[in-house]
Formats: sequence, structure tokens, C-alpha cells
Amino acid sequence: MGLAGLALFMAGMWAMILAVAAFLLIVVAPLEAILSVGRLAVSAVQGAIAITALLALVLGLSRMKRIYMHRKLG
Amino acid sequence: MLDVANLLIYGAAVSAISFFAILLQMPAAIKSLAAKGRAVPDAHKRDRPMIPRPAGPVIMAGIAAAEIALYLLTMNTAVLAVLLSTVIAFAVGYVDDSKVMPGWFKPVALLAAAVPIVVLDLFVGGVHGDSLNLVFGSAFIPLLYIPLIFVIIPVAGNTINSIDVLNGVASGFIIIATIPLLASIAIFGSHEVFLAALPLLFAALAFYRYHRFPSRIFPGDSGTLLLGAMYGALAIAGSSEIIGVIALLPAVMNSFLFLASVKRIVEHRQVKARPTILTDDFKLAASTDRAAPATLVRLIVADGPLGEKEVGYKIIKLAGFTALLAFASIAIQYLVMGLG
Repeated sequence: MGLAGLALFMAGMWAMILAVAAFLLIVVAPLEAILSVGRLAVSAVQGAIAITALLALVLGLSRMKRIYMHRKLG
Repeated sequence: MLDVANLLIYGAAVSAISFFAILLQMPAAIKSLAAKGRAVPDAHKRDRPMIPRPAGPVIMAGIAAAEIALYLLTMNTAVLAVLLSTVIAFAVGYVDDSKVMPGWFKPVALLAAAVPIVVLDLFVGGVHGDSLNLVFGSAFIPLLYIPLIFVIIPVAGNTINSIDVLNGVASGFIIIATIPLLASIAIFGSHEVFLAALPLLFAALAFYRYHRFPSRIFPGDSGTLLLGAMYGALAIAGSSEIIGVIALLPAVMNSFLFLASVKRIVEHRQVKARPTILTDDFKLAASTDRAAPATLVRLIVADGPLGEKEVGYKIIKLAGFTALLAFASIAIQYLVMGLG
């Protein structure tokens, strides 16, 4: 397997990053226009959603890492 | 906006300044550091030869000369912000090179390297936009973008620092990762930031001549932190944040694996169980110790022991693969922009 396995792992990371980027664009970016509260409140809501999305990404990567490490190192 | 003739002339000038300043100064720096006894053992070689360190001051001098020349030619604030961030990251690394600092020092002190980008944009303007480039479009996040800068710079600096484990890897990695970053800045950023990115590529190319296997000098923390922080500052100023992360994926993965294993910010030297062991024939093998942290090198040698040069070559090949992924992301964004 060698480098192909690691390349596949990185392709998986890439796909997850693009998925999070698309989610942030679809969900977080329009909040500026949708919410009619102050900029600070909008930024706080955007920040909370973005951090949650990033945590989900890290959790996903962690799961992927565990499976990969188990196969590689036993 | 610069015209094509100026772009070519300025580009050639800053590239040449950065490349030749480093290429010509490095032999004298190697001699001087060796004479002063500022050297560390190369742990993966037979006889553990002493290798001079750090090359950071020479790399900094070459990049600073090129960026100052570019700033005088363009008077562009983004160029100044990139230069100041790089200088601060170099200073942080130089302190760590001179004195053993605790694990938290580098990530915390690197926050200071983000300050010029934020402050110059606030008081002068034109350093970064208020939107985050998300490949499929941009998100207007004027307030959130500032904390993001304070995350990107320390992460980029420490990521390159953590991949500096074998001869030639950090410099070779920066060369490959900077190519898609340059392409992205040229398309989605500004001419001035594109020109400011050229000294990073040419500095890494010149340094690689001395850092490749077998290394004649090590970059030290001052060298790796300045390369990483400059990469991060360019990604911010050049509206190429996500593309920059994708091109850095092998190094990001290495940091992520390490942090997920040790579950705290700690220096590699403080970790007792080593991720790899050196065999009798001086090959790297994966540690069987369950307490050993996971790293990119440990995963690469999991299939069997490999020589240092072979492991370095495999990391560079992975960097080439993620550079292709970064180019694919640039193509996606270009198509989306065209359709929009």
C-alpha cells in the first residue's frame, strides 16, 4: 500500500475541507443578510457555527486517523 | 495595479535578490557557525556528525532585502505587513534557537506575528479583505476575519516547524507548497502580493541547496518559523487561505497526528516515547511502543524500515500530490467564478 494509502488519506482530508468550505458558504455567509440584528451578534452566531463545523471536521479527521492507524500500526 | 513590464522586472529583481543573497551568504554562515561551535548532531546518521544551526538569520536577510526593495518600488502596505510578520516570526524562532523554551512559547509568541497584518490593515488599509475565500465563493466576515488571522499565522509557523524532522524536508516542502500558492495569489489576489511571495519560493530554493540530504546546515526554529509564518501571511494577504491549507496538507496532517496523540501542546524533545527508532543499519523504523506519538514519518515507515533520504523523498512526493489537489481547488474556484 505504502504511499498510496497516505495519498488516499490526504484526498479524504481535502474532500472534507471542501465540504466544510461549502457548508460555511451556504450556511454562515448568508446570515449577514438574513439576521436583522447588530453586526457583533451576527459575527457571534457566524463564529459559533464556524467553530462547530471545524470541530465536526476535526472529529471526522480523528475517526479517519484512528481507522488508518489501526490498519497501519495495529 | 502593475503593468506586465513592471511585473516582470520587479519579479525578476526580488527573486534574484532573495535567491543570490542566500546562496552566496550561506557558505560563510556555515563556516562561522561551525567555528563558534553552534552545531547540533544529525541524529539519523552514522557517527552523528555535528551540523551548524541556525540558517534562519541568512534566510531572513535574503527575504528582508527582497521585500524592502519591493516595498520601496511599490509602497504597498501588504508587502510591509508580510515583511513585518516574517521578521517577528524569525525573532520568536531565534529566541527558541538561543535558549530552550517551554512548549507553549512558539504558538503563543507567534500571535505577535499576526499583529502587523491586523494593525496595518486597520490604520492604513489594503492588507487583507474582509472576506474569506472559501473556494466555492467568498464569505463576508469582517469581524471574524481578525481572530482568524491570529489562528492562521501561529498554525502555519508551527506546522512548517513540526515537519522539519529530516534533511531537506522543510525547505523542499515549502518550495512545492509555494507553487500553487503563487498561482492562487496571481489569480485571486493582487500583483503586489504575488511579487511579495516570490522571495519565499526563491529563498527556499537557495536554502535547499545546503539543506538537502546530507544537510550542511539546519534552518533552526528561526528558519522554519519565518518560512511558515511568511507562507501564512501571504495566504491571508493574497486571498488564498483555503488553497494555502490544502497545499500544506502533509504538514497539517503531521501536526494533527502529533497533537491528537499527545493531546497537549508540547515540544517534540519533551515526548519520551519516540515515534521512530533507528535500526542498526541506520534506517528509520516505526516504533512499536503504544505510547509513541503518531507522526507522518512513523506512518511512512510503518510498512518497513527506510533510509532518511527515502523517507524525505516520500514526504516530498506527498507534498507534490497535495500541490496537485491545491491546483484542482484553484481550477474549481476559477470555474465557479466564471459561472458566477
